[in-house]
Amino acid sequence: MAYLLQRLLTEAAARQPQRPAVASDGCLLTYQELDRLSNKVARALLRLGVAPGDRVGILAPKSAAAVIAVYGTLKAGACYVPLDPKAPAERLSHIVRDSGAAVIVADEARTSQAAGLADGVPQVVVVGVPGRPGVEEPAAAPAQGAAIVPWAAVAGESAEPLPEELAIETDLAYILYTSGSTGTPKGVMISHRNSLTFVEWAVAAAGLSEQDRVCSPAPLHFDLSVFDVFASCQAAACLTVLPDGAATFPVSIARWLEAERISVWYSVPSVLTLLACYGNLRQFDLSGLRTVIFAGEVFPPKHLAQLMAELPRPRYLNWYGPTETNVCTAFEMPAGWAEARPAPIGKACANTEVFAVTGEGRRVTEPGEEGELYVRGPSLMRGYWGQPAKTSEVLVRDPFRAESGELVYRTGDLVALEPDGNYAYLGRRDGMVKIRGYRVELGEVEAALYRHPAIQEVAVLPVPDELLGSRLRAVITADGAGNLTRENVLDHCRQWLPSYMVPDIIEFREVLPRTSTGKVDRVSLAHDQHELEPAGDGRPNKR
Amino acid sequence: MRKVETVITDYISRELVQDPALLPLANETSLLTSGIIDSLSLLRLVVFLEERFGITMGDADLLPENFASVNTICAYVRAREPGKQTAAHE
Repeated sequence: MAYLLQRLLTEAAARQPQRPAVASDGCLLTYQELDRLSNKVARALLRLGVAPGDRVGILAPKSAAAVIAVYGTLKAGACYVPLDPKAPAERLSHIVRDSGAAVIVADEARTSQAAGLADGVPQVVVVGVPGRPGVEEPAAAPAQGAAIVPWAAVAGESAEPLPEELAIETDLAYILYTSGSTGTPKGVMISHRNSLTFVEWAVAAAGLSEQDRVCSPAPLHFDLSVFDVFASCQAAACLTVLPDGAATFPVSIARWLEAERISVWYSVPSVLTLLACYGNLRQFDLSGLRTVIFAGEVFPPKHLAQLMAELPRPRYLNWYGPTETNVCTAFEMPAGWAEARPAPIGKACANTEVFAVTGEGRRVTEPGEEGELYVRGPSLMRGYWGQPAKTSEVLVRDPFRAESGELVYRTGDLVALEPDGNYAYLGRRDGMVKIRGYRVELGEVEAALYRHPAIQEVAVLPVPDELLGSRLRAVITADGAGNLTRENVLDHCRQWLPSYMVPDIIEFREVLPRTSTGKVDRVSLAHDQHELEPAGDGRPNKR
Repeated sequence: MRKVETVITDYISRELVQDPALLPLANETSLLTSGIIDSLSLLRLVVFLEERFGITMGDADLLPENFASVNTICAYVRAREPGKQTAAHE
């Protein structure tokens, strides 16, 4: 049994060397090719002095090059830190600095962007794909003295296996940065063992085999990508990348699913809602699709029922779990599900225990009781990178087995126990919302707004939205001059926040309402919002 | 009443363009290859067009050819503004 993620690849390459491993943008890599190319990247990293435990940033959209970079980094004994190429430079620089990344691995089209981020990072390693000349970079690209190792040099390294394993299973495999309530993103540290606990369960739960063609549109910095990058590999299935051009329009996604004969799909519900509403699914032959998995947010029941009616053949699985725990509960939708309530999040996965704790600190045992969900097991993160205090707020002693010394994770999610033992998701205990499955801490958006010199006070509130999960509304009081415009505020936000965190609704006020204790009165602000909402709101209500 | 082109260009410039280098927006600029329209901004635009012009967009309308540029969006909207529809959307 593999105990390191990269072993999934070396074992698949030994077992199924000629099976397709990654299909991306017209390029097909076999397991043997992926294995050998990632050996080259690992050697290039080692040559730069990367040592076990070091962090390596990866700046690339999901692609053959990105998957080579992931496995190359792991084979060097290092831990990868995905950098979203679409995120603002300020945010990426913060992540690079915070993680202390020693090297950034970028694809050929992003060499300059990587060099620009490499403030204090001496090296950029470029990963390309053989036989596909990448974008030609101007020779004078290096900025700020960053040394660039071009793909030609990486390709010249030996493709032979590395002589020894450089990591152990408790070492970090990756750090995923997620929204932090105090204004800066926090890095969730996941070890090989944490990840493999999920991967091994997921392969069995989805019944993956080498016949499967797996697609998840989630980018590398989103934990849904762990499934297609690693579970596919354990099964020697083919990871297929949805091209950017096809991802925009629901009908193009449906056409692509048909053409690529995708058999397993894993995404946030909002993409599937779009497919159900606008994908014209009956027009396509999607008989190859056998499993549809969704996670990350609540699937609006009406659209889930619509999707299952349009496409009755596949199994539908609802997976639940914060980045900090990997997937920890699962529910398989019964055929023909048409209930008005959201799908339950289900029961604990293999090797994992979940339980709910009431406001009084009692363990939930009776159907109908509500409480906060706790998770225990080997899939829990090691902690937040460089933030022991924050870690100890969520990784706590097991309240019912304190003597065991084992830590459990407090999810902050409120759940209710159902008569059949499944858990139902009710909502959050704090200021976190989900937008297209991405976690957004309202506090982080507020902190970004406070960086604007003219903004005096701000409250950011979620506005429920069927398609996006939530939209954000910022209520702002600004300095006397009063010439701050909505456009100024949006431009400012885009410098600091990824697009899904930029508020949709900007509202200026003279003062913010207060509670009797002097806090901003969010309840009264949320009440006011109904007047603001345009009627109908254009959400899909078809059929 | 402002021209349809102006209304749409203003909305896209103000709400959807993330990179100021893409402004001012020409009517024939490709909204797809420039990355101005992605799956998220497409939805915002659909909501805006439906509300502003009183049209309903269906399965068959969310296609790249309708959203290629300001010009193609205008042509689409003009063909479907209330009064010009042949098949009644509810």
